[in-house]
Amino acid sequence: MSDLFSTTILFAILIAALKMATPLLISALGELVAQRAGNWNMAVEGTMLTAAYAAYVVVVLTGSPALALGVAIAAGLVVAAVNGFLTVVLKLDQFVAGLALNLLASGITLFWFRAGLQGKGTPTFASLSPISEGPFAGLYPMTVFAFALAPLIWWFLERTRPGLELRCLGENPEALDLRGVNVRRGQMLALLFAGGMTGLAGGFLMLAFSDRFVPDFTGGRGWLVVVAIIAGNWRPGRVLAAVLFFAALEALAVQSRVGGSFLPEQLLLAMPYLLSLALMALFRSKSLEPAALGIPYRRR
Amino acid sequence: MRFVPRSETAPAWTAFCYGVALAVFFLLSALVVLSVGGSPGKAFAALFKGSLGTWNAVGGTLAKATPLILTGLSAAIAYRARIWSIGQEGQVVFGAVAGYGATLWFGLAGPFGIAVALLCGALGGAALGLVSGVLEARFRVNVIISTVLLNYCVGYLLLWLLQPGLWGEVGQTISYQQSAPVADSLFLPAIPGLSKVHLGGLVALVLTIAVGILIGRTRLGFEIRGFGLNPRAMVARGVNAGALILAVMAISGALSGLAGIGQVLGESHRLRPDALAGFGYTGIVVALIGRSSAVGTLIAALFFGALAAGGLTMKVMADIPSALVTAMQGIALISFLLAEIASLYQPVRPVRDGGAA
Repeated sequence: MSDLFSTTILFAILIAALKMATPLLISALGELVAQRAGNWNMAVEGTMLTAAYAAYVVVVLTGSPALALGVAIAAGLVVAAVNGFLTVVLKLDQFVAGLALNLLASGITLFWFRAGLQGKGTPTFASLSPISEGPFAGLYPMTVFAFALAPLIWWFLERTRPGLELRCLGENPEALDLRGVNVRRGQMLALLFAGGMTGLAGGFLMLAFSDRFVPDFTGGRGWLVVVAIIAGNWRPGRVLAAVLFFAALEALAVQSRVGGSFLPEQLLLAMPYLLSLALMALFRSKSLEPAALGIPYRRR
Repeated sequence: MRFVPRSETAPAWTAFCYGVALAVFFLLSALVVLSVGGSPGKAFAALFKGSLGTWNAVGGTLAKATPLILTGLSAAIAYRARIWSIGQEGQVVFGAVAGYGATLWFGLAGPFGIAVALLCGALGGAALGLVSGVLEARFRVNVIISTVLLNYCVGYLLLWLLQPGLWGEVGQTISYQQSAPVADSLFLPAIPGLSKVHLGGLVALVLTIAVGILIGRTRLGFEIRGFGLNPRAMVARGVNAGALILAVMAISGALSGLAGIGQVLGESHRLRPDALAGFGYTGIVVALIGRSSAVGTLIAALFFGALAAGGLTMKVMADIPSALVTAMQGIALISFLLAEIASLYQPVRPVRDGGAA
């Protein structure tokens, strides 16, 4: 226990927590935009997984992390476009469509992995590495980017006119439609933004966290993003706080596996989920969930 | 050609849509096989041989379908009420944990022990379902979210329980992520003539009929269907929405819990994460493809059971990874969802009127 709280270890946990927060935050900022525009985008997990797989394949083939990140974003956009076609155009239930896409992503990546990559040796490749000097030494450029993006998204959503329109998509799309705004286009764009961001998150997760792809690589992180948005009550600042909290718990859990702790590792890992449930149950009356979230818009 | 919403369903058009969906399903699956340089013909032939080709293979299909029927019914009854529970995965595990725990605590053995363990498994699943039900009915916490969260919590609970010193089996040098086996007298007996299918298959069949009657012919079933179509109208008629949610989540959880303890007593004979994984999520897909009816769920579960059983043969015969089956499940779901949407529309030829108006 004394080990856990020495300064060096605390610092290591902090750095690890910031690293773990990075993919969650990038994806959560994108998902926040999609959900404020009225779409649950339940396909986060599948999007992240597809992007991670795409990044892995590209980096193995070309050795270029930058190209891999680009392809990861593209993969995220493709999944989001399919999801948008199903939920925004065909108005399929968002939960059902997301589930189908998650299943498809999990199945196809597993299948391609087993058919193509497994058993052919693990190629080593240039993955992303942290900044080596300066005030941000030890952190990844992507971490700095993610934390810089958070206030920008807040500003966009709460202080700009397009942001207001986007929020209106999730609160009262009919009012926008009556004013001649293209609801379908707006919701598609929001979904695509979310897909691109989650794709970037999946790519970063792949390149910075591991040197190999394993089946179901994302391990529930996509769902954790959805949880963070609900626990953060659809407000950017609180979503950021939730993400940081989850990442800190994950870093602690990893540390407890290495150094031992007074709480079981499994309990630490389950903590984000348990605490989110408790928070949601306690603050039910003050929910700021967008009024039209999950309801496909139909003209009357 | 334009598509306009249909005022009533047309059986011929619906059948056509589902026929196209089936063709699209096989076409897309073939493309996935081709994408890794495999032969779709060989793969599908192996799938068929391993699922329906021999009497033994049919037994394998039924064995794989058994837990899917239960988790499928579990999802179907919730979705009929438009309660989007995805907690089946956690309820399967929790049912298995509760049932296995009961065998330890009560030192169960023999047929009576089997009955008690099955009951405890069902109760465990129901209890977990009720947690989400109470969270929704009393605290207005979205069921989708609470069930996802609980799935992960229960997953970690299982891993924690399977540590050495708790329920984990300790080998000579390493500890496995599994418990010690249950007593031989607790193994579910095989159905005569179908050595691979345990008693749970029969239970699943009986419960399919029971759920069909419950949904179609009882007052509770009427309320469930009504709640799914128009919750406000049902509340206006005096139906207690909270009580209905609790009832649905308890029944749904019990069915999944039964699937979990059935796997423990009938297949793995011990608590093991990989012997329980996936049935819950697949059950959701089974229910969605079966359009949340009892019979539809049974048919979809048999279809998915056949895929799972054939997947193993396909791996051996055609050297295609059995992970294809998971991908095919996703493709099947999307094809059938699209067919369901298409069946609600009708194609209309644009009317030519010489350019006037």
